[in-house]
Amino acid sequence: MNISGRAAVSGMAELKPEIDAGGRSSLELLSEVASRAIKDAGLRKSDLDGLLVTPPAEDSCFMWPAQVAEYLKMSPSYINMVELGGASACAAITRAALAVTAGLCRHCLCLSGGIWDSQVFNSQEGKMAVMSRAEIDFELPYGPMGFNSGYALIAQRHMYEFGTTVEQMAKIAVDQRQNALANPDALFNKQAISIEDVLNSPLIVDPIHLLEIVRPCSGAAAVIISRSEEAIDMPNVPVYLLGMGEACTHNSIIYSDSITVSPVKWSAARAFAMAGLKPVDMDLLSLYDCYPITVIVTLEDAGFCDKGAGGFFVQSHDLTYRGDLPLNTHGGQLSFGQPSYAGGMSHVTEAVRQLRGEAEKRQIKNNRLAFVNGNGGVMSTQSSLILGRDKHDVR
Amino acid sequence: MTLDNGEKWFKKGRTALKIQYCPACEKYIFFPREMCPYCLEVKPEWKETTGRGIIYSYTTVRRSSLSEFQDRVPYTYAMVELHEGIRIPTNIINCPVDRVRIGMPVELAWIEESKETIPVFRPAP
Repeated sequence: MNISGRAAVSGMAELKPEIDAGGRSSLELLSEVASRAIKDAGLRKSDLDGLLVTPPAEDSCFMWPAQVAEYLKMSPSYINMVELGGASACAAITRAALAVTAGLCRHCLCLSGGIWDSQVFNSQEGKMAVMSRAEIDFELPYGPMGFNSGYALIAQRHMYEFGTTVEQMAKIAVDQRQNALANPDALFNKQAISIEDVLNSPLIVDPIHLLEIVRPCSGAAAVIISRSEEAIDMPNVPVYLLGMGEACTHNSIIYSDSITVSPVKWSAARAFAMAGLKPVDMDLLSLYDCYPITVIVTLEDAGFCDKGAGGFFVQSHDLTYRGDLPLNTHGGQLSFGQPSYAGGMSHVTEAVRQLRGEAEKRQIKNNRLAFVNGNGGVMSTQSSLILGRDKHDVR
Repeated sequence: MTLDNGEKWFKKGRTALKIQYCPACEKYIFFPREMCPYCLEVKPEWKETTGRGIIYSYTTVRRSSLSEFQDRVPYTYAMVELHEGIRIPTNIINCPVDRVRIGMPVELAWIEESKETIPVFRPAP
């Protein structure tokens, strides 16, 4: 059974990312964003009968879906937590689409985000909390720098195999900053940056510079998924889920067969096959960007360019909202900020905004189809989505 | 971590680099596991490696947030591909960080610490 086009985004909301949540808790942020999404969808809270959450960044995860449901006084018929790192948000959308299509619920709330605590983040416990037993036992004794060094290994190898340059990688941060300047909600939206600025920022783990590293922060996002025949009678332009695909080949990058080839190769192919579409059909790309190398590998493996040509590809396209290949028009996480697991949701919300025609200053003209990719770990778990304004574009 | 044979990976005084091997699948396995992850039928055996390989990828850590590494920066965190075909995480020693290259031949070396002996790699002659 192909469920392409049978579920749609009917509502969504996103909080402006903040470095400091002002003493608010993750549950407080989630309730605010849920309230806004319900209003956006033209629903009442009692209409929501599905709840999917991603883990809170710093709070205890134990029974987290029930903690959230309790706080919101929800009694869902479908409830779960999705933990696939940065891919969790896209994966929650897929699971919500499955649930509404199968009739397990009618309107499924996908909630993501929470507070960022620099003390926890920088502590030994905070670092260990995001490591597997194998990483703690066999990698930590050699002094890796968490995700930074994992992606640095990929970038270094990509430069060696394909001749990718530091300027090409820096350009992604530069173009995305241009996009952020048109986004009042972005964390870094005051000042443009140049390739020189990026390359002159401190080298943290070669070849990755400070301005190429995502900034963790606090925030939240909510997306409501409904069956398409219901979404069509709701206030917003429905944004249909045309394609969904997932893949996972490893957790730590050490154990990937080739560190320059990611499971996007399979997740994207599955999503395009479900939608009956090709990369060239896409008007907007919304790609998980914890580092520029993530975007380059994703572009290649999703089929937007040949393997190894990603650096040249970004160099020869304008990635801004005014450009020939609009990519991460909200600024990407590099400039929008990474509000915990809601960082991955920001790629979904931006695609929905653009497809609805609500992106204001940064609205793209051709806005019928978007490719969204969520990436967990170090190019580990992938969740790819194809969103469209038209249900029948595809067949 | 206690390995299957009761030995610790960083056991003090170790002199050989042994990696798990599944004779049925004819594959090396790292990190160590209870069962061969390829077939999930066979308990892997331990095989001594040549201790030689090449640098598959690396990064220079310029700033470390790990307390025990803060006075070691800059240092090289690397993936070495052993001649046996398996890749492992490690450090490269006896080589200035700016001389490290992908494809560089390396050989096993040991860092003696108070309680552990840690396998690392250095440029091979």
